[in-house]
Amino acid sequence: MRRLPEAAVLVAVLLLLGCRGMPSPFPPIHPNPNMDYQERYDPQEASAFFYDGMAMRQPVAGTVARGQLDVDHRLLFGRDDEGYFLETSPIAVTDDVLARGENRYIIYCQPCHDERGTGQGILFERANTPTASLHDERIAAYNDGRMYDVITNGVGLMAGYRYPLTVDDRWAVVAYVRELQEERRILQAERAARQ
Amino acid sequence: MSAGNGKRPERTYWRSLEQLQGDSRSADFLHREFPESASEAPAELLRDGVSRRSMLAMLGGTASLAGLTGCDIIRRPVEHIVPYVDAPEGMVPGVPLAYATTMPFGSRALGLLVESHEGRPTKVEGNELHPFSEGASSVWAQSSMLDLYDPDRSKSVRFADEASSWDDFVAAWTEGNLGPAADGTGFAILAEPSSSPTLIRLKEALLDRYPRARWVIWEPVSEEKADQGTTLAAGEHVHALYHIDRAQVLLTLDSDFLSTEGDSVRNLRGYSRARRVNEEGGGSPLRHYAVDGVHSVTAANADHRLRVQSGRVAAFVARLGSALAGHGLELPLDAGGPAGDIDDTWVDALAQDLIAHRGAGLIVAGNRQPAAVHAAVYALNSALGNAGSTVTYHRTADTGSSSEADLAALAAAIHEGAVDRLLVLGANPAYNAPADLDFPAALESLDSAGAVIHVGAYRDETSRFARWHVPLAHYLESWGDARATDGTASVVQPLIEPLYGAKSLVEVLALAALGESRDGRDLVRETWSGILGLPLEEDADDAAAAGASAEAEAEAETAADGEGEEAVPEEAVPVDPMSLPFPVALSEFEVAWRKVLHDGLLDGSAAPAADLPAIAPEDGAAAVRAAGEAAQAIVASDDLEIVFRCSPAVHDGRFANNGWLQELPDAITKLTWDNAALISPATAGALGLENEDLVTVASGGRELELPVWQVPGQADNTVTIDLGYGRDFAGRIASAANSEGHGPGRNAYLLRTSEAPDLARGTLNPTGGTYPLAQTQDHHSMEGRPIVREADLDYFEAHPDFATAHSEKPHENSMWDEWTYQDSPQWGMTIDLNACVGCNACMIACQSENNVPIVGKEQVMEGREMHWLRIDRYFSDEGESRGMLRDLVQDLPSEPQTSFQPVPCMQCENAPCEQVCPVAATVHDSEGLNAMVYNRCIGTRYCSNNCPYKVRRFNYFNFTKDTPEVMKLGKNPDVTIRSRGVMEKCTYCVQRISRAKVDARRDGRGLADGDVVTACQQACPAEAIRFGDITDAASGVSEAKASPRNYNLLDDLHTKPRTTYLAKIRHPNREITPAPPPAEDHGDEDAGHGEDAH
Repeated sequence: MRRLPEAAVLVAVLLLLGCRGMPSPFPPIHPNPNMDYQERYDPQEASAFFYDGMAMRQPVAGTVARGQLDVDHRLLFGRDDEGYFLETSPIAVTDDVLARGENRYIIYCQPCHDERGTGQGILFERANTPTASLHDERIAAYNDGRMYDVITNGVGLMAGYRYPLTVDDRWAVVAYVRELQEERRILQAERAARQ
Repeated sequence: MSAGNGKRPERTYWRSLEQLQGDSRSADFLHREFPESASEAPAELLRDGVSRRSMLAMLGGTASLAGLTGCDIIRRPVEHIVPYVDAPEGMVPGVPLAYATTMPFGSRALGLLVESHEGRPTKVEGNELHPFSEGASSVWAQSSMLDLYDPDRSKSVRFADEASSWDDFVAAWTEGNLGPAADGTGFAILAEPSSSPTLIRLKEALLDRYPRARWVIWEPVSEEKADQGTTLAAGEHVHALYHIDRAQVLLTLDSDFLSTEGDSVRNLRGYSRARRVNEEGGGSPLRHYAVDGVHSVTAANADHRLRVQSGRVAAFVARLGSALAGHGLELPLDAGGPAGDIDDTWVDALAQDLIAHRGAGLIVAGNRQPAAVHAAVYALNSALGNAGSTVTYHRTADTGSSSEADLAALAAAIHEGAVDRLLVLGANPAYNAPADLDFPAALESLDSAGAVIHVGAYRDETSRFARWHVPLAHYLESWGDARATDGTASVVQPLIEPLYGAKSLVEVLALAALGESRDGRDLVRETWSGILGLPLEEDADDAAAAGASAEAEAEAETAADGEGEEAVPEEAVPVDPMSLPFPVALSEFEVAWRKVLHDGLLDGSAAPAADLPAIAPEDGAAAVRAAGEAAQAIVASDDLEIVFRCSPAVHDGRFANNGWLQELPDAITKLTWDNAALISPATAGALGLENEDLVTVASGGRELELPVWQVPGQADNTVTIDLGYGRDFAGRIASAANSEGHGPGRNAYLLRTSEAPDLARGTLNPTGGTYPLAQTQDHHSMEGRPIVREADLDYFEAHPDFATAHSEKPHENSMWDEWTYQDSPQWGMTIDLNACVGCNACMIACQSENNVPIVGKEQVMEGREMHWLRIDRYFSDEGESRGMLRDLVQDLPSEPQTSFQPVPCMQCENAPCEQVCPVAATVHDSEGLNAMVYNRCIGTRYCSNNCPYKVRRFNYFNFTKDTPEVMKLGKNPDVTIRSRGVMEKCTYCVQRISRAKVDARRDGRGLADGDVVTACQQACPAEAIRFGDITDAASGVSEAKASPRNYNLLDDLHTKPRTTYLAKIRHPNREITPAPPPAEDHGDEDAGHGEDAH
């Protein structure tokens, strides 16, 4: 009788160990629902009501949300009245804008383009993804409007960033990239002068 | 220790007649938090009304656990993440957007701002830019959200009661034989009034195309008589717009302009501004006189009320005209003798007040009053110089006024066989047309010929007779437009694509008028091209689409360019396609149009006030005399006056399937889920009737069985019956049969005839039966303490501290360690009882914001309604002191004064609920919120038992289980859906506080006053509720709390509530109510108000 507790512990340990490596096709047992799953739709939930199975809907075409009165085509598309790309950014470049641009650049651009814009980011390093250097002559020659357009709509392998980046943020990134390019040019000129 | 300390020590407050009479069931409610059976398993589950079981069936039944066995039930459900494939620009999942839109309401419009979570509208707010809303909204605007997601809506086009499609309908109209004869002979359209410019345009187009077509405009609760009367007096069709904020004296004649009539949101805002008391002294708040027979919200807020039968209001107008003439108004009328039941002192005092405030007075007549009264009111306003100042008239285009005569002519034409095609646009004549026109029979005769086309949101009473039925889109899912009373034009902007492929009125009408199926947006834009005076570029969309494809091509080329970067030398590309111009500039129209969509209205589109010539004194006198002739004689008690009233909840029946509205307690009667025959206690006594006794109301050979409910303040010998109940075919909520064999309420339209649509004569005969009614008034009673505090203006000026001067505070010591609050912000709220009129908008706003469930009639009868914010209504009367209440049985009060008090959670600093929770499910946070942790709650209900304010609500059942998919779409994702066994209560909209904090931090700033607006505060048209940081001395709420009128509810308990009240100030005319003698001894406990004493 004295051995009973030890035996019980042994059996329990064996039982627990025995379950290892035996994945169940069923979801885990969840005895107390406790309002973990609620009769409402959180972002990105599925819904059986709509034909596409999504609870998230597209805004109705042609509607304008409060605070999104976007009618300035210079700001919105980076193009002038005739439809040519703007030579210079329509927003004033300040320290705040540059700081914001840097912040967004590090989040969204750095993984591919690298923090200095050389196109040697982590994706190039690990997946050998061909990435343009922002200091490439061809790209450095882009005017601001065209650079904005590339950020907005993407080009080649690069996806468009119109969804995660607001219009102002995109122009801030343009300003920051200009800053990177400028720094690089100055450094190269200095190096050339030294040699 | 009482309200109006010392002023009227003898004023007695009570909550209901049962309580006054010491009814045993009422006592039960007083002594227990929930009545006996409420806390036990419901033994009489299916007793009456809507049972829990049928309630749950109503709420869903689509999702069921059938088929799941064993452990599957307790396994975690499999959930999938479904992100956007094509993410819309400018939308972050989890961050709601707001869209400006407009709720069209007859020929009026209310500007709204609707919150959208990931493309699904979830909450309606007022549009602060719209002059008719200024950010506030109404009960109906708030609850329209639920209608959008109603699972009982009509889901497809139907032909001969089989599912069909819009394309089939279009084909049948354009190619088949559904279209009318070439010149429109025999073609009739039945529509409701509208101010939509697009609808007006299409109506003209239709009548051009079918010149012999008959266009009938009718709705059951209309402004027909007001329009007729004003047209009679003004000589043209104009809409009256009231500027109550400019008025100092207001007279309402059987009008409910604060709740069910006219631009109630705008009226209410002006009213509360005009009634504001200048606490530094000086200024004169609005004085409100009301003359009516129905105890409406408007009547309940009057400083002086003259109770007369609604049919006698016309006689009052004639008497007032004589009194005004007698006091020097240029109006050739005889002084006139006494007019029976009308108090001469009262009329003379009123006449003097109106004359003393020429140009700052206002007379408003209600929609039930005959045209002659409206003409006389126009004449009096004109003679008093109020026209152009407190009331302006505007020439606003609409499709036309509702016309009872046109409807009768249509019915006659159908019976004669002169109609062979009837298009019903949104109306429901089979349910609500006057009974003598016998519309069901008329429609049936047409139906046999397949001639009826019904366009409606539900498959209702009328669609049963329609060969073709087209589902009507909700305003939140369709394009449209509307004009407000002053002509302010706004666009109805959809928040979501039609859930069931429904069509909007303009789309259906475009098919009829233009012979082709057109997109609603294009139709509205065409109209607005005219309104904005800018040409619409027909191919703007095509150009954009072409542009997009050009862009795509260009991108493709660049992509090719990019890929070939290494191989192809730069020079080999002759022209960079990206350097080609691609015009993107928006047209002038597009820029202006988007501004309208963004703001929700077109700036400066209001029509200037019509410059109408002042009415000649002789004409004015003639109009007043005509009103006197229209007055009904005083009726004897066996021949009662029957008043058909627009329901403050379900309107004319259009909202009957809305659970929020069915369960919304009426402001005065506190009845839910039913209508009743409302009579005064004196009439009930004379007829020997008790509450809930069934009676047969007979009028003109028609009969209707209804339960009786006594309403203090109702005119004697008058029965008020709410319209809009007793629907047979309107969905599961409105038509679910209970044990009595019918849905909520009885259909009063069965008694209504075209001769007497608003005021009829009839009799009441007891049937001997009873019918239980669900009311919320006796629940959560506050046991005779100074709850509502109020004083007259002159008393307040002499004693500015009256609200707190005699508060009994036994001690300042707490049994518990008190919380200290160092952090900022500390949240607090004030509710100004002087502003609140009891319109209920806050209750529905709270329900919508916080996912508060409805519980059904049976559960309301058990005292289990879930409203986090309730509005208590107290009647007060001069007279007996406490302890004498039981003796009042013989002398029931008939002319009470009414006070309203919204009661949310007080968020006590020393919260009694927290001290008794065994599981720490209700705890304090550092910002002073008394928070509920739902997951911890085990449902002991100790907290509710210990709450002196009775603001906690318990989920006795899982009220949200089996919620249909479509209703889940409208739930606020920021608020937990509570389950069975969980206590809940007002949280000060903690989700909005969190959102504001996140926004402020994202923008790198601190919280500013006004960043957090609670749902109730947002909705309140009276600006009664203020919320904010009480540590910020400059915040609005701190300013309000500094008022001498500020007091704590049940101060003596030392709960230190964060929600406080500002005492109510009345502004009586001392000619009518003399100042009470100075009170004797305030220190004596018995000298206080003996509210709920027993």
